[in-house]
Amino acid sequence: MSRIRKRILILGSIGAGGFVLGRLAVRWFFNLLLGGTLFGGNFL
Amino acid sequence: MKQRRQKRTKKVVPWWMGLLAFSGALFLGAASKGLTPAWAKQYNVKWSDQIEKKQSDLRYGQGEFNTFDLYLPNDQTKDTYGLVVYLHGGGFTTGDKAMDESILAWLCSKGYVAAGINYTLRNEKNPEASVLSQSNEIREAMPFVIDAARDAGYPIDRMAIAGGSAGHTLAMLYAYRDGKSAPVPVVLTFGSVGPSSFYQEDWGIMGLDQSDEACALLFGVMSGTSISPDEIADRSYLNKVKPISAFMWIKDNPVPCVAAYGTHDRVQPYKASLRLKAALEENGVDHAYFEMKHSGHGLQNDNRQYRKWMETIEEYLERYMH
Repeated sequence: MSRIRKRILILGSIGAGGFVLGRLAVRWFFNLLLGGTLFGGNFL
Repeated sequence: MKQRRQKRTKKVVPWWMGLLAFSGALFLGAASKGLTPAWAKQYNVKWSDQIEKKQSDLRYGQGEFNTFDLYLPNDQTKDTYGLVVYLHGGGFTTGDKAMDESILAWLCSKGYVAAGINYTLRNEKNPEASVLSQSNEIREAMPFVIDAARDAGYPIDRMAIAGGSAGHTLAMLYAYRDGKSAPVPVVLTFGSVGPSSFYQEDWGIMGLDQSDEACALLFGVMSGTSISPDEIADRSYLNKVKPISAFMWIKDNPVPCVAAYGTHDRVQPYKASLRLKAALEENGVDHAYFEMKHSGHGLQNDNRQYRKWMETIEEYLERYMH
């Protein structure tokens, strides 16, 4: 696997994780204010 | 060997690049939660004089807040029109009819005359305002709303009343308590997360001091009357909160209802909504009750259910307002 390909793969994984965590953070914040479950319902 | 692997990884993705990617994605992820799902866009109609006319800040009383907005469809070919009133939320202390412009515009785009009504909010300037006084203002406003629509060339022959949170409470009070004396038949009420009952045992959800004194104070403020801790203890307070407890009036005027509540609501107690549900069932009212099992007051975690709820509102509007 080329170095560039590896880099894209790793950055993609990091990005996907960050994206999911960003959505969960907002969800957590609204749940804190209004009530709700973090992982229940329509995930994310 | 471990050191060598770390060194290799470092070379492939420098730490700053990883951090940048993570931060950017974190931000994008958070921002994406603010996007409206594609299916929900149809309910957020931007007001435009191409589809409807708007009359703003018409008066129904002398008070600062005694104003309403009318949204009138451009199609003026019908003999009569259905009126849909949508009341704003805000915990009885904040909010304005302007907050609901998109839902009012949506209702108007479906051919209804739509109205948003302000009511006197409880604040430092209006310490006497209560749920009772606000619900009475809504009752007083209705003939003005219907007359204004008629004067604009839109005779009203039936109406629905709806709202969110505090507005939902006031909407249900109008439908069930005052609906019989309405200028036109009230054929439907819909909304979300509005308290319709006030029982001490239900209202512990928001961290309320569970003492009789604290309960007497809260319910007294809401009902606009003096309630003593003794009345809480012997449960005679229930007569005093009846004027603001919509579910107690359902049997008097069983108006069809579509309502949604969040199981984890921290603003209005979910338990209270079960009393509404039971009263609707006991009185054989045509209703649809949605429990959003993962959401709180914002109904924010149950998109599929939320969509079904909105579709059901449309179905009920079709059924009763045409």
